[in-house]
Amino acid sequence: MANITLDGVNRSFGSVRAVHDISLTIADGEFFTLLGPSGCGKTTLLRMVAGFAELETGEIRFGERRIDTLPAHRRNTGMVFQNYAIFPNLKVSDNVAYGLRARKIGAPEIAERVARALRLVKLAEHNDRWPHQLSGGQLQRVAIARALVIEPEVLLLDEPLSNLDAKLRVEMRGEIRQLQQTLGITAIYVTHDQEEALAISDRIAVMRAGRFEQIGAPEEIYRRPSTPFVAEFMGTTNLLQGNVGSNGASIKVGGTEFAVPRLEAPEGTAISFSLRPEALRPLLDNEAAPDGWAIVSAKLARLEFLGALTRIEANLSHGAPLRAAWLDLPLHRLKAGDPLRFAYDPGRVTVFA
Amino acid sequence: MMSVALPRQRFALLIGIVGLALLCLFFLFPLSRIFDASFLDPKGTHLTLANYGKILGSGFYQQAIANSFEIGAFATLLTVLLAVPLAFALARLSIAGKSALLALVVLPLVLPSFVSAYALLLMLGRAGLATQALRDLGIPFGSIYGTPGIVAVYTLTLYPYVLLPTLAGLKAIDVSVEEASRNLGASRWRGFWTVTLPIVVPSVLSGALLVFIETLENFGVPIVLAEDKPILSVEAFKLFVGETDQNPSSAGVLGVLLIVSTALVLLIQRHYLARRRFATGARRSPPLIPIGRASLVAASVACWAVVLSSLLPFFAVVVLSFMKFRGPVLQGGFSLDNFADLLGRSARPLENTLMLSGLAAVIAALIGVPIGYAITRFRSTLTNILEIVATMPFAVAGTVLGIGLIISFNSGALVLTGGWLIMVIAYVVRKLPFSVRSSASILHQIDPSLEEASINLGVAPVMTFARLTVPLMLGGIIGGMVLTWVTVSSELSATVVLYSGEWQTLTVVMFQALEGTGAGTAVAAASLLVVITLVPLAFVYRLLRRYEASLL
Repeated sequence: MANITLDGVNRSFGSVRAVHDISLTIADGEFFTLLGPSGCGKTTLLRMVAGFAELETGEIRFGERRIDTLPAHRRNTGMVFQNYAIFPNLKVSDNVAYGLRARKIGAPEIAERVARALRLVKLAEHNDRWPHQLSGGQLQRVAIARALVIEPEVLLLDEPLSNLDAKLRVEMRGEIRQLQQTLGITAIYVTHDQEEALAISDRIAVMRAGRFEQIGAPEEIYRRPSTPFVAEFMGTTNLLQGNVGSNGASIKVGGTEFAVPRLEAPEGTAISFSLRPEALRPLLDNEAAPDGWAIVSAKLARLEFLGALTRIEANLSHGAPLRAAWLDLPLHRLKAGDPLRFAYDPGRVTVFA
Repeated sequence: MMSVALPRQRFALLIGIVGLALLCLFFLFPLSRIFDASFLDPKGTHLTLANYGKILGSGFYQQAIANSFEIGAFATLLTVLLAVPLAFALARLSIAGKSALLALVVLPLVLPSFVSAYALLLMLGRAGLATQALRDLGIPFGSIYGTPGIVAVYTLTLYPYVLLPTLAGLKAIDVSVEEASRNLGASRWRGFWTVTLPIVVPSVLSGALLVFIETLENFGVPIVLAEDKPILSVEAFKLFVGETDQNPSSAGVLGVLLIVSTALVLLIQRHYLARRRFATGARRSPPLIPIGRASLVAASVACWAVVLSSLLPFFAVVVLSFMKFRGPVLQGGFSLDNFADLLGRSARPLENTLMLSGLAAVIAALIGVPIGYAITRFRSTLTNILEIVATMPFAVAGTVLGIGLIISFNSGALVLTGGWLIMVIAYVVRKLPFSVRSSASILHQIDPSLEEASINLGVAPVMTFARLTVPLMLGGIIGGMVLTWVTVSSELSATVVLYSGEWQTLTVVMFQALEGTGAGTAVAAASLLVVITLVPLAFVYRLLRRYEASLL
């Protein structure tokens, strides 16, 4: 177990810079997620740590030990692939034993460690099965067991859940997180699913075009996004553009004024901000806003009832859309075109430079 | 269970019934007659096991069986040893001229193997060119007759049966499986032995068994090179041709032995291996392995050496055909005499070859394409039976089929012997498995929803098939027909049993010349065959890929 350092890592494919001057330290025992859309460089970065992609410049170290000069099979990382990569010619137990056999470990110890690993992923009774007899979720567990049994310095997971159905994904991500915490192993996880990243990570690095947009704990990334890209990538949001208002604590968007935390910029400066839909609380009838909250008026366009949640699409006076979301409110009395007021805490507004 | 009244089901049913009827009459019936023949006494009056006793108890025939299996085993082993490293090199190394190589490796599948055997004879036989040259240099050269020569020819002409599926298997491994192996600590070498090779073993064995079947069925190569060594397929022919009794009982026994052996091997291949194909659902094939320049040069040379050696005999034959022969001895010097002799006597053999092959190709397509369609689009008990019966001819040697057809159609209600129709029938039956599987594989790439859309818009199933499906398949169908035409032109084993008088083909001319003195004529005939094969192939070269796919 050790911390992982990436230092000035660069890689281009032709004219495209896949990884742009990346430097990062991941703490020992941390669950670190690389999150971003396809092509952002997250998988390339992961494969660099595994040894399947070359670095043009830079270094990768486990603790003090430099590893980017080592061949893949000597780095002692455990990788879980998106398509599981289970060896079809070996039974489950032999799949899990594979790495141990490569390390020339004795048969009795192998048997014991394999049994333990399979128990850990709850597949103990399947040790004698063939891969083609297992379901996707089971194959993924075998892949996890196989990577963990060798007790690697770091666990690398390349979108391991994207080939599973939705319900299984939610279940498995919890199990992966639990395993990682129980064993205290450092993990680098790659995904494009922001909900997944939020649910299980200690820290998330949002990536775009080979660079880090923001690195931080899930709540920080979500509540205090540092760029519009991050704000939009994590869940849904209202990204609005306007001008700084006269009192220095408001932004004018079309004919609507939004109350925001104190601004440094002078009046009239063009500026953008993010306000999450769940921060906008619909006020019904003549309900008053809570203390310290501001109000914005809009016209209802449509309601989308999603069970636990209702999504509200409204339009501001000048026509721009405003999205809100709320739980469990009796909104069915409303119809398109009705005026609707929303209350919000100005502190929830994230202003961008 | 769908109502048979539905037009689609009726269409498939019709195809199924007609197809099975034809196969029963011209394939199963002749086979049954051979079985009968083996169990009837020479007079044809009562059942007996004496024939089996006589043949199986005879040292000579025991030797024939042993020889055939021994040659089969050796050839199979050598093809595997040759083809697997070659497949690996082509799949994982950046061999020089790889695309040319990949085109050339398919050729031995369609070129006549006995031409290769004949070329070997001309070069390295007792009176061979190279043998003489070596003798002059004082180097004694061993005999190529018997097992060594036969095994050599089989190895060089049948290795694609193992190479192609192995190559496909290697390409179908997803890169992540090999990466996982390295990630877990195995070196590339270890990964190859523990993961890559085991995954392709089913493909290798599958191809190896096909090689074994082919060696048992092949007639042309042993007839050229076996000399006195008894070989099953040749002995069956000799027995039949020499049979004077009412009932060809001895030939029948050998025929049955051949059928049973090949059918058994084919069953093993289908059941235990074709199913155990490890599908890894490859999204990305593993990248090429970087190796040192010297190693790469060595590997490229080795690959080219193998491929060129297998094609050299054909090349040699074409060259030799333009040289002067006196009797069986090469005189040297450029001459067109051989062709003059061959065609001067009569252009009939050439015409027959072209016409009968062409006819067979068209008929095989006319029957095979609907059957392929029926078995791909409509799964039912009938189509399952149809599929099995339509691919059975693969397990029957041409000689045996020829014998069966003669027994069945030289008397009684339908007399076909002595004419050309019986030859065409034999060709069609022999090539039907290829035609069926080739059209099935083309169809797999055409989405059924296209046909469903057409039917939904009001076009009946038969019309949809004719107006929509066939045009979509046309490229593949034509390619298949050309390949059938080409391979039938070089057919020997059934032809030599079934031909008569004016219906000689080029292969018969070659066969006759083997016995006699007309080596030059034989070489000219062989050379023409090679040209007839290669020229159309150049036009459909891309469709050769389909041929591979339908074999595997």
